[in-house]
Amino acid sequence: MKRFVIAVAAAVLVFAFGPGAPAFAQSSKPFVAMCTDTNGLGDGSFNDGVWAGLKKAEGEGLASVKVLEAHSMTDYIPNLTGLAEGGSKLVFGVGFLMVEQIQEAAKDEPNTFYAGIDDYFGGNVPRNLIGVSFREQEAGYLAGIVAGEMTKKYYKNSKLLNDKNVIGAVLGMNIPPVERYLAGYIAGARSVDPTVDVRFITVGSFADRAKGKEAALALNDQGADIIIQLAGLSGMGVIDAARERKFFAIGADVDQNAAAPDYVLTSALKGTTMSAYLLIKDLAAGTLKGGENRVFGLKEGAIDIAPFHQFDSIVPAEVKQAVADAKAGIASGKITVPSTLAELGIKQ
Amino acid sequence: MSGFAAVLLAPQLLEATIRLSTPVTFAALAAVVCERSGITNIAMEGIMLVGAFFSAYVGWLTGNPWIGLLGGLVAGAAFSLLFAWATVSLHINHVVAGAIMNILAFGLTRYLMMVCYGRQGTSEAVPLTLDHYRLRVPLLSNIPYLGSAVFNQTPLVYLSLISVAALAWTFARTRFGLSLTASGEHPMALETLGRSVYRVRYQAVLLSGLLCGLAGAFLSIENSNSFTEGMTNGRGFIALAANIAGGWQPVGVFLASLFFGLVDAAQLRAQSIGLIHLPSEIFLVFPYIATIVAVAGLVRKSRPPAAVGKDFNVEGGGD
Repeated sequence: MKRFVIAVAAAVLVFAFGPGAPAFAQSSKPFVAMCTDTNGLGDGSFNDGVWAGLKKAEGEGLASVKVLEAHSMTDYIPNLTGLAEGGSKLVFGVGFLMVEQIQEAAKDEPNTFYAGIDDYFGGNVPRNLIGVSFREQEAGYLAGIVAGEMTKKYYKNSKLLNDKNVIGAVLGMNIPPVERYLAGYIAGARSVDPTVDVRFITVGSFADRAKGKEAALALNDQGADIIIQLAGLSGMGVIDAARERKFFAIGADVDQNAAAPDYVLTSALKGTTMSAYLLIKDLAAGTLKGGENRVFGLKEGAIDIAPFHQFDSIVPAEVKQAVADAKAGIASGKITVPSTLAELGIKQ
Repeated sequence: MSGFAAVLLAPQLLEATIRLSTPVTFAALAAVVCERSGITNIAMEGIMLVGAFFSAYVGWLTGNPWIGLLGGLVAGAAFSLLFAWATVSLHINHVVAGAIMNILAFGLTRYLMMVCYGRQGTSEAVPLTLDHYRLRVPLLSNIPYLGSAVFNQTPLVYLSLISVAALAWTFARTRFGLSLTASGEHPMALETLGRSVYRVRYQAVLLSGLLCGLAGAFLSIENSNSFTEGMTNGRGFIALAANIAGGWQPVGVFLASLFFGLVDAAQLRAQSIGLIHLPSEIFLVFPYIATIVAVAGLVRKSRPPAAVGKDFNVEGGGD
């Protein structure tokens, strides 16, 4: 009897709190879910961005939504497939680091759409799988223009800048989205300042703030006065370093000005929110197509650069014009931004 | 000035080494205290994380980083008390209990982020950090090369140096140090002499909790200005390696921690010079290779405490 009671209690708990809570499955609106990578919500990056897209869709009555956070890489597959078994029509797998797992989940659950954020699938993409990637290089390019102009021509505009023609970048890991950002950043800086010296350090983690700081300090020791962070939570360390040593940091993915308003010059913006929202909109309208890669860029409204906030007055109109021209050029296809370091002739 | 040697010989490298090694030094000292008393402690990572969270939280609430530091110490001690209870009183396998503590710390800090700040990721910034109390030692800070790195430092860096000396003295010269060593080498002998092994081990774990609390406070309110989830990022485990490479001796683990810090600082700086074109992955494995070499090369000369990791049960006659 006791065992039976425990079994019933366990079953109730599973149904009440498990990934497939019936309340979602029976809703008339499609149930859309996302799995974070191990950084989880609060990364100030794509996890938060995609979740905001889901919430936006929910707010407009397009879907009911849910998020599952992964604590280790072994959670990826159970989370991805569990959500499908719970009735989810579209599951977002966030981050390049689960590119293998999402393909496996898509094979196991053919009746659910899977969208891999930051993934680009080669070959035959299964008809229920969508690769969502971004032309980060375009955002990097805009940030690079600002950095290249400010470090050379306008260094006298701020005490945070020095007379050396050096800028820097701190990378989390060497993965394609990060490389695209960096390639664009270097190309953008070189487009306005051909002799600029761009130095970069990979810290090997997206969650090591102290090491991110150390990398930024090392770059600053070599004269870099503007450093872009491409390192997730490790990037918070770049902002720590900027505050301590008094130089400019450039944020990435979302507007990071609030983290240190006196030191964050601008941010390279990547519209994960927009991409997630657009896919859900397609799903609700019944027009969502799988089996393909969707690439979002400036033209699609998913790439931009953040405002300069309190530094608006020290960034000259000429620089703002250069950014605006670059945007127009990229949108019209006149400017193609390189997406790999190899295209720039940089050996790695 | 962009030469390889110039970067590696610059005093900034030593400063970076000390910044990177300070949290590892505290955690490695914590490991020494625990292991010398017979407790295998792999929970430093988790205790450090809890210490980092509470330092930032209390520092933010009160606006005073010193009270924040106190908060981190109390939290580290309280959290480690749980570990002591599990391993000493409940006789749970030390490694299992430590692993649980680490998982618990990750979940707990994540949960507390939501409770205290209503969001995840990075906490509110403390208005004032311990970095503000950087102390330049007159005269000594003018020594070339060493001066700026060692004698123009922040409070917890000085405290880590003092802790190394204090613990070395404790083990060499005090009754408490002798009890710790006896508890890890031959607990039954200690018990027979009328000293409670449980008591000594509780004290050891508590002391290690305080040290981990300092390591956490360094990460959150001295080296940065807020808490970030998972910000310890494996330093508790590097500390375990430092403990072994340092031969379970305070001065030894300090040197080992410095060595790990140096390797890390050097690889980061070497990447940015651009003189040698190697994939960054090659640089990134340096610290781990150094860890393996250090542990494999040095551990042969030292021996762990005889009773480390073994449960001691008074009622069972020591088994």
